[in-house]
Amino acid sequence: MTTTAGSRRNLFSLQPLDEQTQSPLFQRRRVAVGEETGHDAHLLQLEEEFSANMSLGNAVCQRCNDGFKMDEQIVNSNGLWHTYCFVCAQCFQPFPEGRFFEFEGRKYCEHDFCVLFAPSCGKCGEFISGRVIKAMNASWHPDCFLCFSCSKSLADEGFVKNQGRALCKDCNAMEKAKGLGKYFCFKCHSIIDGGHLKWKGEPYHPYHFNCHSCGIELKEDAREKDAELYCLRCHDKMGIPICGACRRPIEERVVHALGKTWHVEHFVCAKCEKPFLGTRHYEKKGLAYCEIHYHQLFGNICFVCNNIINGDVFSAFNKAWCVNHFACSICDKKMSQKTKFFEFDQKPVCKYCYDKFPGELKKRLKKAYDEAVKSGKV
Amino acid sequence: MAGKLKKIVDDTKEGNSTELDLVDKGIVNILEIPGFVNLKNLSKLVLAHNKITSVPPNIANFLNLEIIVLFNNAIEELPTTLSSMPKLKILNVGMNRLSTLPRGFGACPMLEVLDVTYNNLNENSLPANFFCLDTLRALYMGDNDFELLPPEIGRLKNLQILVLRDNDLIELPKDIGELIRLRELHIQGNRLTVLPPEMGNLDLVGTKQVFKAENNPWVTPIADQFQVGVSHVFDYIRSDTYKFLYGRHIAAKAAPPAKTNDKSKKISRIKK
Repeated sequence: MTTTAGSRRNLFSLQPLDEQTQSPLFQRRRVAVGEETGHDAHLLQLEEEFSANMSLGNAVCQRCNDGFKMDEQIVNSNGLWHTYCFVCAQCFQPFPEGRFFEFEGRKYCEHDFCVLFAPSCGKCGEFISGRVIKAMNASWHPDCFLCFSCSKSLADEGFVKNQGRALCKDCNAMEKAKGLGKYFCFKCHSIIDGGHLKWKGEPYHPYHFNCHSCGIELKEDAREKDAELYCLRCHDKMGIPICGACRRPIEERVVHALGKTWHVEHFVCAKCEKPFLGTRHYEKKGLAYCEIHYHQLFGNICFVCNNIINGDVFSAFNKAWCVNHFACSICDKKMSQKTKFFEFDQKPVCKYCYDKFPGELKKRLKKAYDEAVKSGKV
Repeated sequence: MAGKLKKIVDDTKEGNSTELDLVDKGIVNILEIPGFVNLKNLSKLVLAHNKITSVPPNIANFLNLEIIVLFNNAIEELPTTLSSMPKLKILNVGMNRLSTLPRGFGACPMLEVLDVTYNNLNENSLPANFFCLDTLRALYMGDNDFELLPPEIGRLKNLQILVLRDNDLIELPKDIGELIRLRELHIQGNRLTVLPPEMGNLDLVGTKQVFKAENNPWVTPIADQFQVGVSHVFDYIRSDTYKFLYGRHIAAKAAPPAKTNDKSKKISRIKK
């Protein structure tokens, strides 16, 4: 006999068993080992017996039930074995390095044991010995069971199943927030229900920050400048121009007009809302207009030539004339501010032409004029 | 007289002016103006207060003419060639003896202002294509004989000024409500009793607008609104109450009020 109890113990080096492991296989293995350790004392007793009388005359091999020759090497492991009988129950080969695994009374080499009984990992495909994570209809090495999104180990903290993927709680909440069109706070890892604040490219609850200048708790309208966050009021004070239309800071070209600053594309005609883009604009009552609409709205289009009037404007009867075209509407005689003229269908008529009107028309015009005066319209 | 005219024409030609003003010169025939045919570059021709009886068709040869004023003459007919003038923008033939406008007149490509005030025109005087004049921004038709305004008026989308003063209009077409750019409307001195509710689309109330509607035999509700002000008239014709009343009024087909304008003394009528 060459194997001692000590070396036998060494040989029998099963993986450490965890009482907590719920895997049925490991439960069975634990029971098997328990039995074995139970036998252990008995075996030791036997050994002592053997060593006492050195008589193996009636001892038989556990496998072949034959006796042993006197000078034969015997393996003593949960019974006695011929060395050639102490082999893997599956491949009949000696156990590499003496390591074997016992299951339901049979001994297996590590390889065959794994092939027959051990689960394989859902991620790396390798056999799992030791702790097995059963999840998502598969088995996993504890080190292989990771969050699909952030690769954090899920073995101990648990996981949430999300569209066939295992996610950690944070990533799951983030996915959910994404699905709802909401942001997920980069600091407290919860959904941002109200407005969010972006800082260094990540969304946060605004209340995690305070203004870099005045210290007030920030709201969603806070602004970032040089990687620091400021409340709107402090930000505005720092001299960054704010667009008079969109109320947002102007970082590119600034237009100064109407006593305000504007984004180039936000400085538009009050009528057609097209940006001036550097072309001339006209101001009236605090509003800016493009050339066409200013004249269209404020009547500075010449009644005769229908062109925009540059320069002096003659106004009468809700119409306007340019210097060249302010004339009697009948004889075309030029008129000045001082020229007296008559109204005829809301057009100017000089005295010469008016005098040439037939009497009956003049009478009617006079009557209409008098009535208008009486009713207070003139 | 002819000598004087020749001098003016020569001055115009020598001064390279494109404007010819011959106001109150007793001219009877345009073609008798000495040297006139040589002024090919003319852009403006003012012949107000003369005695011209007809306009020669070859006026259309003056391709640069933009403004023609023939106010207060004795013209009874205009040439059809007018509609071929490529630059004609303003035509004033007020105070003449026109009882018709020439065939095809609506083909004028550039006409912006047409003044036919004080003639003898009515709804039958207009050529079929008259309302193709969509470049028109002002149409002066006061002192004529219209009893009805053709509904095609709604096609003159650029019209800003429409004068129908002192005609014999008994109603306005609802299409007048389509003249969205209109800012001046004169309908005083007609036989109108109601306004189409569609006129509520128009913006004629305000300091920039003109709406003259006196001397019409308005139905009482409208007359009452005129008493308080023009803005009240427009508020009223936009109301459902008025739409209902208007519908009933039209359905009743009441006889139009009698003509009140005495036109016998109009110089456009008196034969000399």
